[in-house]
Amino acid sequence: MRSLVIFDGLSKFIGVFVVLFTVLIFIYSLAFIKRRRFYYYFWFILTFLASLGVVFSSNFVLILIFWGFLGLSLFSLINLDRTSQQADTAKKTFIIVGGSDAFLLLGFLILTYLSGSIDFSGNKLEINSLLSLFSFLFIGIGCFAKAGLMPFHTWIPDVSQHAPLPVVAYLPASIDKLLGIYLLARVIKDVFILNGLAKVILIFLGGFTVISAVMMALIQHNIRRLLGFHAISQVGYMVLGLGCGSILGLAGGLFHMLNNALYKACLFLTAGNVEEKTGSSELEDLGGLAKFMPLTFLGGLISALSISGIPPLNGFVSKWIVYQALIDLVGNSSGSLKIVGSLGLVFALVGSGLTLASFLKFLGGVFLGKSKKKVKEGNFFLLFPVLVLAGFCVIFGIFFRETVLNIFLKPYLGEIKIYGLWEASLATLLIIFGLVLGLLIFFIFSLKKKFRQDNLFVGGEEEEAQPLVSDFYTSFRKMRFLAPVYDKACQGFFDIYQVLKKITFSFANFLKYLHNGVLPTYLVWCLLGVLGLFLAFFRF
Amino acid sequence: MKLLFNYLIFPGFLFSLFWGGLGWWVERKLTARFQYRVGPPWYQNFIDILKLFFKEQVIPKDSFKPLFIASPIISFSSVLLVILFITQALFLKESIFQADLLVVFYLLITPSLFTILGGFSSANPLASCGAAREVKLMLSYEFIFVTSLIVVLIKSKGNLSLEGIISLQKSFPFLGSISGFIAFILGLIWLQAKMGLVPFDVSEAEQEIMAGIYIEYGGPLLGFFKLTRALFYFILPLFLILLFWADNLGWHLIYKYLIIILLISVIKNTNPRLRADDIVKFFWFLLFPLGLLAIILAILGF
Repeated sequence: MRSLVIFDGLSKFIGVFVVLFTVLIFIYSLAFIKRRRFYYYFWFILTFLASLGVVFSSNFVLILIFWGFLGLSLFSLINLDRTSQQADTAKKTFIIVGGSDAFLLLGFLILTYLSGSIDFSGNKLEINSLLSLFSFLFIGIGCFAKAGLMPFHTWIPDVSQHAPLPVVAYLPASIDKLLGIYLLARVIKDVFILNGLAKVILIFLGGFTVISAVMMALIQHNIRRLLGFHAISQVGYMVLGLGCGSILGLAGGLFHMLNNALYKACLFLTAGNVEEKTGSSELEDLGGLAKFMPLTFLGGLISALSISGIPPLNGFVSKWIVYQALIDLVGNSSGSLKIVGSLGLVFALVGSGLTLASFLKFLGGVFLGKSKKKVKEGNFFLLFPVLVLAGFCVIFGIFFRETVLNIFLKPYLGEIKIYGLWEASLATLLIIFGLVLGLLIFFIFSLKKKFRQDNLFVGGEEEEAQPLVSDFYTSFRKMRFLAPVYDKACQGFFDIYQVLKKITFSFANFLKYLHNGVLPTYLVWCLLGVLGLFLAFFRF
Repeated sequence: MKLLFNYLIFPGFLFSLFWGGLGWWVERKLTARFQYRVGPPWYQNFIDILKLFFKEQVIPKDSFKPLFIASPIISFSSVLLVILFITQALFLKESIFQADLLVVFYLLITPSLFTILGGFSSANPLASCGAAREVKLMLSYEFIFVTSLIVVLIKSKGNLSLEGIISLQKSFPFLGSISGFIAFILGLIWLQAKMGLVPFDVSEAEQEIMAGIYIEYGGPLLGFFKLTRALFYFILPLFLILLFWADNLGWHLIYKYLIIILLISVIKNTNPRLRADDIVKFFWFLLFPLGLLAIILAILGF
């Protein structure tokens, strides 16, 4: 009798954080969710149990069952307020996620056929035949759709825009990322031995996702949708790390998965606070909120800097480990892997610059600048989860060796050899030292005089002439080579759901054309069918 | 204790401020000579900065004050940290506190970032306009610098540490190969744009948006920005030398540094200011492909 339960380092690591996110977002929901509470908490707890099920079961069949439950609960949670937009979004999500489950099933079937075992304890399978590659890719599609890698990403921006914000922070931003990347890491480490082609595919998809999702995020006017596109682009980094296949890459990918869940959940909750107090998530309506919501701003600032990879926060550390894994890969490989690896590195570094740019738009547009209306800071339930998550971003950044690498990743991956040089705690100490020194100088020099407060200087113009932060990157949108791509993307040309919808409808239209309602046509079809059957039976 | 000495006096804050102030002066003097002026005396930058610290501090009413005050100081202290890393590799026999190339790259973004955030928090529309331009500029120049960093990484066979990169260039600097030369040129343009010098000074553009991001800053806080700038004059050229031209160090650094200052001064004085969108096009569609070409050349071994 084989064990159905797996209880190793990776499962424990993911399990701990599933519990953490559930608790924090539960607290947040207490203040945020006001209608249909019973329905909400029922599906919320079911999601929690099903995710624990995925994390701790070692049997493929069990994983598939729990995975299916998660798709269902995602559908139900999105549809909380029952608006028509939510219904559309929920349907779209269910079709993409559910459809990818079919691929997952197919992948597991092929895997079982090849290796003869239905759990993770079987022998490692080398990807040497077309069948094994397909098995890996099909399992991959299941994970990609869950985590939101391109081209299976299109449900995430829609969900971010329409679903209630605790749901967004819980599912697409944290739990789905944890689970999707968990399964991918599990199959890469314990089931398959990656070959060059599989690595090339993963790195290509990762790099492509990083850059294209972040380019879409740049032009968004809605903060929810902006954050949604970032939830996609960050997956690119994780897949880049996992795609390297080395211990360092796995460590980087898993670490980045954790970090992304932390700061992305924090950002969505920040957006939730803003929306709760102002009633809007459009950048045009917001501005200057930092004065009224300083703690929310603090959480938003830390997580925004963290996602942009500013040292010494956690987003920097995990990206840094991913980069090292890529550099290592480029150094020790040849041919197409070397070229794809260096391109992936370029895209990853460039993508982090673009992320920074789009979060400057977020920070500037929502919290800084001139305030448009007065609001109040949120209450304890709204602030506590935000600040705890932001606190984790700082702690995991400064003490990454002591906490994440040693406690969580080492039991599973073994000794992780980081060859880059970065003493985060000492560096932070020096930054703080410099900051304190600077503040001292500042206050010593302005000790005698009081600060004079004065109106803004705008050269005699009306102050209303405020440039809209939401139009920051409109010039990119209109740039010669990018404009056609953006146009197509905004029309849903790259949306796998829209594309499939078009194909399905054209197929249905063909059937509609056949079903013209004229009796003789149907009779002809019947006759042809019978003829065909006769031929088939009597040919032998 | 030794670390603190390195951080504050040599080769950290005081030394680099002195050197940076002089380098800035050389650049100003050259500019003056290009324009048939006499130019300032050598101590001009120091007394300029010192004067700012004795001025009154004005804070705009609508601003978000904590960030408005903290931004210049954070950008200053993060530059100090980068200086510690780079100068230890260049000037000291053995360094006690190292960091690798990627860390330095990311830490060098921080000052620009906080300059932008400071501009935003002043709530001034002109500062917001300047910040928008600065972000676009940052996207442009950091992209091409990424490509030249990767050329360095390929040439150093994945060695990330600054000392390793220096020791690999003992016999033959990276500048000597084709891909290295292209990457160096890209690095030089990065330097020009990062310092906000003409032709890439859209974000300040005194004649259009009255210093843009810095419009509401004055007194000690502006002094911190000026200090950061003086430190940039020191560290950015040296970083470029470290990456591409580190065959002979010691006193050789001086003429290498002066050559780079001369180059950026020539570029500054012979070009008009570009528009923000033209800058982005120039960097993305001309220089970025050039950088990719350099990467491929480096992979092929040229």
